[in-house]
Amino acid sequence: MIDFHTHPVLIQEFAAKYPDYTRMARDVFQIGNNLQPLETFFLQMDVAGIDKAVLLPIACERARRYAVCSNQQIAELCGMSERFIGFASVDPLKPGAAKELEFAVKSLGLRGLKLDAALQDFDLNDPRVFGVYEAASSLEIPVLVHTGMSWAPGTALTQGQPLLLEKAIRRFSRLKFVLAHWGWPWVWDASALALKYPNVFLDTSCLYYDSPTEFFQFVFSKQVPTTLIERSLRNQIVFGSNYPRIEIKNMVKALKSLALTEACLEKILSKNAEKLLGIQSRPPR
Amino acid sequence: MIIKLERVKVQTRKAEEAIDITPQVEELVEKSAVKNGLVNVMTCHTSSGLLVTEGIPCLEEDIFTHFARLLPEGEDYHHRRYLDFDGRMGFNAETHLKSIIGGIQCSFPIENGKMVRGSRQTIYFMEYDGPLERMYLVQLLGE
Repeated sequence: MIDFHTHPVLIQEFAAKYPDYTRMARDVFQIGNNLQPLETFFLQMDVAGIDKAVLLPIACERARRYAVCSNQQIAELCGMSERFIGFASVDPLKPGAAKELEFAVKSLGLRGLKLDAALQDFDLNDPRVFGVYEAASSLEIPVLVHTGMSWAPGTALTQGQPLLLEKAIRRFSRLKFVLAHWGWPWVWDASALALKYPNVFLDTSCLYYDSPTEFFQFVFSKQVPTTLIERSLRNQIVFGSNYPRIEIKNMVKALKSLALTEACLEKILSKNAEKLLGIQSRPPR
Repeated sequence: MIIKLERVKVQTRKAEEAIDITPQVEELVEKSAVKNGLVNVMTCHTSSGLLVTEGIPCLEEDIFTHFARLLPEGEDYHHRRYLDFDGRMGFNAETHLKSIIGGIQCSFPIENGKMVRGSRQTIYFMEYDGPLERMYLVQLLGE
């Protein structure tokens, strides 16, 4: 099983090594939990039954002074364990962003692009951003875009509206777009994009009130019907937890509480992510 | 009068776990200069606890089973909301309530440099929301 949405922002070893790391976690990402040894990350994956986790940085230095992890830090973590799959992030308005992405993929071994318009302070439909989409498309990597509400301080809700991405989705039809957080509260907008465009995927990392199970029961059965997932979008959804904002075990439990078939759950928890990342399924034992 | 505070880290490995910390506490007592006094043990977290009971697996299982019965995840908890000071959702009310009901500290007398306890008494560090690196305090007081 793969968790497509995690942020390595509370790693004790990195706090000891990188002077600005804790300030980034507290002030930019805004999370108050205790720092934890890297071992806790793996144990959190273990208790949730997760084999691999996608690590996401956010290159938001221009807007927020500190990046939420650098590409080098993500690569360093990936070098410590095969259980980590690293994504890169670049500031799409920065000259040379496309080259920086190419370096991150070809030299650092990172396997996707993460963008967060709200934290990085750009507009999703700004044509100046299209250079990095072009580069990602050429590199044949997926791009995971923050959509919906962001908890990070100073961010604008409107910068996360999923429909702002439509122009890019249409223009780069070979590029796989993963809309993080299912675009909540615009879950129908995000769902409609996935229904209309085969290059659009949705991740499940949304929790904005109540418990994970309560939230999923409402959003994925009352706000949008569970049958939409089971019948129409089963090949375009990946599991994401948003750890450490939410523990992975609770999000897995919430997903499994939905009335979905085992085959559909397997696609969401494993197969769709494997396909996006070019990972071969393990042969049955 | 001696007053000494020790901080002990423990890495929990499961979502819920009862970890016997009796040997660690006894060792700290024996290594200290306190011959006669008191040892107080306290967890530093609000979703973990400290319990004293008989150290056998069936009881460990009963504790978690009956805590889950008393405090089911499906109950209606006000804590399930965004905590802006923490940057995350607070949806683990039941783990906090287990900590409250089970308690967070225990004390034992020290006599002739050794911790005095009943033969069946075991000190458990109780993880209710793991796995996490946790810390408990051991304070030694006496002469």
